[in-house]
Amino acid sequence: MAQTDNETHLRETVSFDIPWMTVVWNDPVNLMSYVVYVFRTYFGFSREKAERLMLQVHNEGQAVVATGNREEMERHVEAMHEFGLWATIVKAGS
Amino acid sequence: MTWLDRENPARLAVELTIHERMLLASLLEQLVDVLFDDSDPAMQRLLPDAYRDDEEAAAEFRRFTAEGLAERKIANARSVLDAVGNNVEGVQEPEDRVIVLDDVHAKQWLRALADLRLIIANRLGIERDDDEGRTDDAAVPLQQSYQWLGELQESIVHALDK
Repeated sequence: MAQTDNETHLRETVSFDIPWMTVVWNDPVNLMSYVVYVFRTYFGFSREKAERLMLQVHNEGQAVVATGNREEMERHVEAMHEFGLWATIVKAGS
Repeated sequence: MTWLDRENPARLAVELTIHERMLLASLLEQLVDVLFDDSDPAMQRLLPDAYRDDEEAAAEFRRFTAEGLAERKIANARSVLDAVGNNVEGVQEPEDRVIVLDDVHAKQWLRALADLRLIIANRLGIERDDDEGRTDDAAVPLQQSYQWLGELQESIVHALDK
C-alpha cells in the first residue's frame, strides 16, 4: 500500500504551459571571470555551475541560464542587460 | 590594483594613479552622454533587444524597461565618477590614490566598467571573439583603455572572489 508523505507540500498552481527561457549569448567583450561572477552572484549558482555555463556560452555561443514563467524571465534578462551581458527571452521549444 | 581592505574585508581598496582617475572620469562622462542618446550605435548593445525574432515583444519590453535600465546605468557611472572625480585636478598624496569601495559601490563599478567596454568595443568594431577591431594609430589610445578597463574589472572580480 502506498503512503503519502505528510511533509509534501504541493504548489498552489502548476502550469501546463511550455516554460520560457533566459538565454545568454556569447559576446567578444565581457571577460570570462566577469560572466562567472554575474552567474554566481545574480543566480546564486555554485562556482562549478557558473563556470560550466560560462564555458557553454563561450564555446557554443549561447546557454540557457534560467527557465520559468515569462515575467520571471523578463526580470532576469533586464538584470543581465544591467550587467552588460547579452541576454534574450526564448519560448522553450521554439 | 585592487585588494581587500585589511581592516574591513567587506571593503575593497582600488589604487589608481591620478592619470588613471582622469582617464576613467573622462570615459565615464562620455558613457553618460551615450546613455542619454538613443541614436548612438552603441545603445543597441547597451540595451539590446530582449526578443530576437519577435519585434513586437522586443519593442514592448523596451517600452517598459529601457528608461529604468538607462537610469540605473547612468547612476552606476555617476557613482564611479563621484569616487574618481573628487580632487582630480588637485595634488595627490599617495594615500589619496586609494579608493575604498563597499559591496554596493563595487557592484556599480563592475557594471559601469562593463558598459564602458561595450561602448569602446562598438567604436573599435570588435564583433567576434579574437577580433581586435581597429588597430590603426588613431585607435591605439582606445585599445589601451579597453585593455586597462578589462584589467581593472578583473582585479575587482578577483578581489570580491576572495
